[in-house]
Amino acid sequence: MSREETAASLHAVPASREISPKLLEALVCPLTKGPLEYRPEAQELVSRNASLAYPIRDGLPIMLPSEARKLDV
Amino acid sequence: MKPATQTHDEPATQTHDEKVREQFGPRAAAYVASAVHAQGSDLDRLEEIARAAAPRRALDLGTGGGHAAYRLAPHAAEVVVCDLSEAMTAAVLETGRAKGFANLSARVARAEALPFADGEFDLLTTRFSAHHWGDFEAGLREARRVLAPGGRAVFIDVSAPESEAADTHLQAVELLRDPSHVRDHRPSFWLAALERAGFRTRALSRDSLRLDFASWVARMETPAAQIEAIRALQRGLAVETAARFALEPDGSFTVDRVFIEAE
Repeated sequence: MSREETAASLHAVPASREISPKLLEALVCPLTKGPLEYRPEAQELVSRNASLAYPIRDGLPIMLPSEARKLDV
Repeated sequence: MKPATQTHDEPATQTHDEKVREQFGPRAAAYVASAVHAQGSDLDRLEEIARAAAPRRALDLGTGGGHAAYRLAPHAAEVVVCDLSEAMTAAVLETGRAKGFANLSARVARAEALPFADGEFDLLTTRFSAHHWGDFEAGLREARRVLAPGGRAVFIDVSAPESEAADTHLQAVELLRDPSHVRDHRPSFWLAALERAGFRTRALSRDSLRLDFASWVARMETPAAQIEAIRALQRGLAVETAARFALEPDGSFTVDRVFIEAE
């Protein structure tokens, strides 16, 4: 099974799951300027300080607090 | 294996493993005492994970000064520390005893050939060690092999910038400082290599680690000629690369530290 098939069947996410190295290099929360945690399986970038999880859609992080999932503290 | 001493004018005579032992054996005490190694928010997070996992048997791979192991010990029934250098494991056991931990034991081994059965551990940590592994991916495969299915692994190391120029600079100064340095890997390479080794990455994050130049080279007893070469490389850096490392006038600089949870 190719990586794309694995991703699609297990997680029902688009084929382009990979985050680009350039984006990995710039992992900073737009609100707190603190570090972000990349969670490949959930396809989210988590800001612990802001208690927000920013979604990654088609490999692109959506760095908008309005689009982010609120984390339970 | 007898570690051969080597002067700069002689041809290469030592294997990589001998170089690692020679670099770290005599400096075991410096690594046990090093503030960079003994403190850090990464250790607090590691301890949180250990507390939640409450492992039966944990392995700290490339234990060095043992700082990860001391955080595992209160939460695990048993902690095995493993290092290529017997001087390091001896120092860790002694320090562990002084801290009152009776559940530490040690094995001397290469990360690429671990003397453990499949699935023997339910938590595995390795901190500031992977950049010394002669075969990084073989080390990751061994880590996966000795970890039980569903077991948790935590990988902490200095990571390289994704920019190639900055990456090259980092490896160059690291090698000048420590001849047993192999490679600080980029976060993107960590992710790909972990997947190839059979790990599922749950989370990857990065933070910054400032390296005070004087203590950074003192810990490794870097010779004066190599220190001068590092300074020369720093003086010749492009501004954007110097900025990437927040290079300071005295040579102190800031690197990335990657913290990865996988299973």
